[in-house]
Amino acid sequence: MDAQATGDPGGGQPWGPHNTVTVVDPSPVNWLSITWNTMEEANRVDHDGIGQPSLAESWRWLDGETLELKMRDAVYQDGEPFDAAMFKLGFDKVQEWTNPHPPGAFLNFARDVTCDAVDDRTVRMRFPGGDSAALMKLRGMHLPSTRFWNEWGFVDPKTGSAEGHW
Amino acid sequence: MIDAPGPWGTGPFVLTEGVSLIDSRSDRVVMEPNTTYWNPARKPTVRIVYDNVIGKAEGIKSVAAGDGRVDVVFDLTPDEAHAFPASEHGRIQTKKAKTILTGVFNENRPDSPWRDPEARQAINLAIDQAFVLEHGAHGYGTVIPAFIQPGRYGADPDMKPMPHDPEGAKRTLDGLGLGGRELVFVASPAWKGVVEAIGQCLAKVGLGCRFVSDRGDLPDDFDVKLEWYFDWTPQYPVACVHREFFGCDATLRQGPEDPKFDALYDKLLHTPEAETEGVVREVERYLQDEAKALFLYSPFTLFAVSDRVAFTPYDTCMSELAETRIQG
Repeated sequence: MDAQATGDPGGGQPWGPHNTVTVVDPSPVNWLSITWNTMEEANRVDHDGIGQPSLAESWRWLDGETLELKMRDAVYQDGEPFDAAMFKLGFDKVQEWTNPHPPGAFLNFARDVTCDAVDDRTVRMRFPGGDSAALMKLRGMHLPSTRFWNEWGFVDPKTGSAEGHW
Repeated sequence: MIDAPGPWGTGPFVLTEGVSLIDSRSDRVVMEPNTTYWNPARKPTVRIVYDNVIGKAEGIKSVAAGDGRVDVVFDLTPDEAHAFPASEHGRIQTKKAKTILTGVFNENRPDSPWRDPEARQAINLAIDQAFVLEHGAHGYGTVIPAFIQPGRYGADPDMKPMPHDPEGAKRTLDGLGLGGRELVFVASPAWKGVVEAIGQCLAKVGLGCRFVSDRGDLPDDFDVKLEWYFDWTPQYPVACVHREFFGCDATLRQGPEDPKFDALYDKLLHTPEAETEGVVREVERYLQDEAKALFLYSPFTLFAVSDRVAFTPYDTCMSELAETRIQG
């Protein structure tokens, strides 16, 4: 793994107490903290509890059923560029499963929700009948790299399934 | 969840060692700064090591002693924070996070007295929330009217916490034939002090109170179960918190489904996003009007933090650490 991929602080600077913070986190949702520290979603929640843009730099409802998101110019840790097609890949992957989110089915997109990459930066999602929980659900839709999808894809190696393992 | 370390995401850290799953964790989980991260405001400057061996009690001691083994300990109980010694090396840090500590009435049995909103309301009137917070949790929290803190998204500025009215509570409870009962409260050992403070309030209306740890099997005949919960959402608390207690798919509900709540939730889902706050307030008022729970307070999240670290806690209770720095 090269320096860029490992996040080496640069120039071979060794890790030690001077630049390491050691944490004890007994929370039962520590697994989600690890995901949210290393992967991102369209949006996030800041330290004051307020929703903020993340890999989507903005969004707007075009009508009561259509959400348009503008994707940010970002790069994966392995060098792969992030774009609207990667967002759509994340949506298509999560929709392959019945109940992928450990917190529960309330995070699921309905089966008739669609997602299209209009261009490299623009995504349009259509929610028939509307869904005011759309942005909450997007907070739980992780957007990892192609390599992650190919090698892991949130599939539990013990069960071979991604149900409840997103 | 992530089953192997690797450069999988775009996030501020790269997972370089270990895994954290629901049912198991590596002894160490290590995250290093992502040097290509797009957001300069959240670009980390430190490596994070989660120590999953040392344990919370030893971690707290380490922070107080300044021995360098641990810098931040999450999720202290009120008693653990209160007992933290005067130290030149570390401190207790608090955060008014999006949390609740609330009592779920046992409405499982068809003859449960707690299916009657009047009985639930009487218990609420018997409880002095500020007393419970001060004497049961060393003051680490904020009294709230229902499930949302004042000033947060969805909080109704016209809603106040239920009044403390022990005389009225006793009248109602006696009238319902509930006077003199011993109520069984199931709770985490972390909230034993809270249950004891509740017991002092209940004694003033002629009720007994017995603490039962939730570490064992849930007894069929319990009256109230205390639950701590948190909201991680971007301004959508009803789905994350309220639904978890009262929705048709709730995991914390202790009674029959509530079609009125489900109808309100459905209304919220189909309300245009820009207009949802009014529906959230409607849900909050419904909870209080029906005394759907024993409303207590919003606990602060509590941390033991080394003085060498500038730690930025999150209102969501998650250990997101991009902004955490070494001091100086």
